[in-house]
Amino acid sequence: MSTFAGKRVLVTGGSRGIGRATALAFARAGAAVGFNYSRTEDHTEAADTLAALRTEGVPAFASCADVGDGAAVVQLFTEVRAALGGSIDVLVNNAAIAQDAPLMMMKDESWDRVLDIDLRGPFLCCRAALRGMIAARWGRIVNVVSPAAFVGQEGAANYAAAKGGLVALTKSLAREVARFGITVNAVSPGLIGTRLVGEMQSERRKQIESQIPMGRLGTPEEIAAAVLFVASPAASYVTGSTVHVDGGLAMR
Amino acid sequence: MDRDRLRSEVKDLLVTGLRLQVPSTDIQDDVPIFGEGLGLDSIDALELVVLVEEQFRVSIPDEEVGRKALASVNALVDFIIAERPA
Repeated sequence: MSTFAGKRVLVTGGSRGIGRATALAFARAGAAVGFNYSRTEDHTEAADTLAALRTEGVPAFASCADVGDGAAVVQLFTEVRAALGGSIDVLVNNAAIAQDAPLMMMKDESWDRVLDIDLRGPFLCCRAALRGMIAARWGRIVNVVSPAAFVGQEGAANYAAAKGGLVALTKSLAREVARFGITVNAVSPGLIGTRLVGEMQSERRKQIESQIPMGRLGTPEEIAAAVLFVASPAASYVTGSTVHVDGGLAMR
Repeated sequence: MDRDRLRSEVKDLLVTGLRLQVPSTDIQDDVPIFGEGLGLDSIDALELVVLVEEQFRVSIPDEEVGRKALASVNALVDFIIAERPA
């Protein structure tokens, strides 16, 4: 499959979990792929993902960069453009963190840090990507959101607010850039077997699992498939939408 | 580059880049580019920002700068002369 041959893709938070599966799926579909990873991570995961991307025989690039930092995002885009040979055609805003606490007990720092990475990060990355997409009159932006954006999440008001904000950003930007051949969509993964979920308290995890109509966790590959779909030519008339890939968790 | 030549380059860019249905010679130097003037809106401005930045190697980083720089053909010519690399 070479649906994305000749396309340049940037996946934020691409070293592991959903980001890694997405980066690999784009590489298998023929795209040149760049990703960033957080400075707080173990860099061996990023090195491993980079090696896996190169095994697919496509140009690949990785950089340690904080998406909540404006200067770091500008530098990341400059590096990716140089490494992949041009502007980004597809941006996947996947990088996210959680710092849970009941709102009454939430520290300012937890609120700020989660909003910085999970909402300001996508804003900064979209802004950095748009000039190239408008010049090309083609582009795909995919924002990874969460059921928390639609149904709320106890103990994670910061994360839910950021993801809800990202859904609203998705719709607003979709309206702004539709005329330039750029689509902006969201993919909402339910409970997926990644580290973020692994760190969740087991009691809460079981409670959520019992609410999934399909009765199981999703896989990172199932999310990647939806991201590739909304970025593909097959989804050329889809914009401002959210694809819920959650086993039925958030349906209303 | 003299001012008249730059002015005509800017008008050509408006017509070809934004696919306007008027000859570039019909565009008045001081008519607002956006709103009533040429019937363009703030979203059309995004494409003009990208085109101007590419062709004239200047930076229009935000809405505040853009509103001034893209006010009219003359304003854009002034902006390019002031900001472009020597």
